[in-house]
Amino acid sequence: MNRSLRLLLGRAVEALLVVVGLASLVFFALRLLPGDPARLVLGDEASAGELARVRATLHLDEPLLAQYGRFLRGLFTLDLGDSFRRPGTAAMERVGAALLPTAELATVAVGLGATLGVGIAVLASGPWLPPGGRRWIDRALIAVAAAPLVAFAPVVTWALAARLRLVPLPGDPDAGAAGLLFAGALLALPLAAHVGRIARASLAEVARAPFLAVAGAKGARPLRVWVVHALPAVVGPIVTTVATQLGALLGGAVVLERMFERWGLGTLILEAYSTRDLPVLEGAVVAAGLLFVVAQALGTATLLVIDPRARSGRA
Amino acid sequence: MRARRVLDLVPLVLVLAASALAAALAAEPAGRLDPARAWSSPSASSILGCGEAGVDLLPLVASAELRAIALAVAVALLGFSIGTPLGAAAALVRGRLERGVDRACDLVQAFPSFILALAVLSAVRVPSRVHIGAVFALTAWAPFARLALAQTRVLRDAAFVEAAVALGRGRAGVLFGHVVPNLLGVVAVQLGSTAAAIVVSEAALAFVGLGPRDGVSLGGVLDQGVAAMLRAPHVLVVGAVAVFVTSGAMLVAGRAAAQR
Repeated sequence: MNRSLRLLLGRAVEALLVVVGLASLVFFALRLLPGDPARLVLGDEASAGELARVRATLHLDEPLLAQYGRFLRGLFTLDLGDSFRRPGTAAMERVGAALLPTAELATVAVGLGATLGVGIAVLASGPWLPPGGRRWIDRALIAVAAAPLVAFAPVVTWALAARLRLVPLPGDPDAGAAGLLFAGALLALPLAAHVGRIARASLAEVARAPFLAVAGAKGARPLRVWVVHALPAVVGPIVTTVATQLGALLGGAVVLERMFERWGLGTLILEAYSTRDLPVLEGAVVAAGLLFVVAQALGTATLLVIDPRARSGRA
Repeated sequence: MRARRVLDLVPLVLVLAASALAAALAAEPAGRLDPARAWSSPSASSILGCGEAGVDLLPLVASAELRAIALAVAVALLGFSIGTPLGAAAALVRGRLERGVDRACDLVQAFPSFILALAVLSAVRVPSRVHIGAVFALTAWAPFARLALAQTRVLRDAAFVEAAVALGRGRAGVLFGHVVPNLLGVVAVQLGSTAAAIVVSEAALAFVGLGPRDGVSLGGVLDQGVAAMLRAPHVLVVGAVAVFVTSGAMLVAGRAAAQR
């Protein structure tokens, strides 16, 4: 079999295992940890009749294996039952509605972060800056990569949106594209720093490669040498970095959604958590896992398309 | 070199000392409410000002820092003691186990662990610090295992390991007697960044409302700060600086292990 196809198939099976594993973890955590899920839903004052009703609705009165089978079946048919707090609305419907804004935010953040990071790395690698300037860029990249989003995002928002009023608050319904862009930029900053560091190191490795000297000798300008000739050679590490940062990015999206009260998967998970809407909670966590593995698979596929070394297994 | 190593520990020691001092000398217990002084700015009586319902920020932040550091160090050490032998054993056994552990590390490190934490914590009514620590430990082993695996790939062909095998030591004997002791220096480098990441994650969890039940958490201070961004910006600044300083001190302290 073709190596690329085998790699992609392997990743797809792995992705499936990850999603099922995550879903099972959530399923068993809710049922096996001490504490009765029905009591978690209703609170301590619930009567025996109410508890019995909730157990029946959530099928908690069935044997564990039967529940698990039902849960897995629901997972593959995308039907985890009705939202417990909004009877009549399918849990997956609510999850689907929340998935889009989060995917939008994550996509903007990945686009901005990758572009910014690569741009900075090219700027710091080419002949445009004095050595002192490059060293400052390297230091700034390390500092931003280490800065916690949960601490700097609120401060930047306070300064830019509340004090200087340069940008709208992303949670504001009128904020529109500008709000999305601002929230995406906040989320993109740590990613840009990680991408910048890796791209900078990879570019430094190819800086003395003969093919760049040839391009220069044939009269290509520095910008062309670095962007057209050097950059494609280091796409692999950049895509891998973006893929490894996706998990942190999704976590950051939850924090930002909570901070800006912006609707999305994060707000849905938190709402389902506080109201103990188990079907929605399970669905939302699985959707977050799915978003993550799909993006990872896209990363692998992109790499295979762009880099012939990855296809032949030499990368 | 030794002086540099001691220097790297200074920020963490300072944070610890300042927090312990502030917590010990505080006139009132952390978290006492006094609505009359709600959201008041920093003053002589409360150096960092007050937050929601008049909670004095100085004792609150000091105890929150101490608890965050304790949690982070405990979880990082747990991850270290699980991940190091696991990675080393996988590389010694080679074959399928090695590839499996390698790929598992990849996945766990890239995984949205924050969302995993939210999901698992939803199974308990109000998360305690033990719950939060346990959830972080689910993923904290991976970076240590990955480092141990990479380093053992180099060590497993070393003459002293071959000699130990030739002398008839079993796998466990080689692992714990010869390989793991030689890994510790390299793998310990990761302790600082793992601990820093846990400080930040704990703050993020508390920020979104999954903090410990006593409410003493840096994320809780940040949450108050965001809610009163316009009225009392000092709360936000205090919370953000505290998270920065605590995680930064952990990162710098981690470098002490790196300089060998």
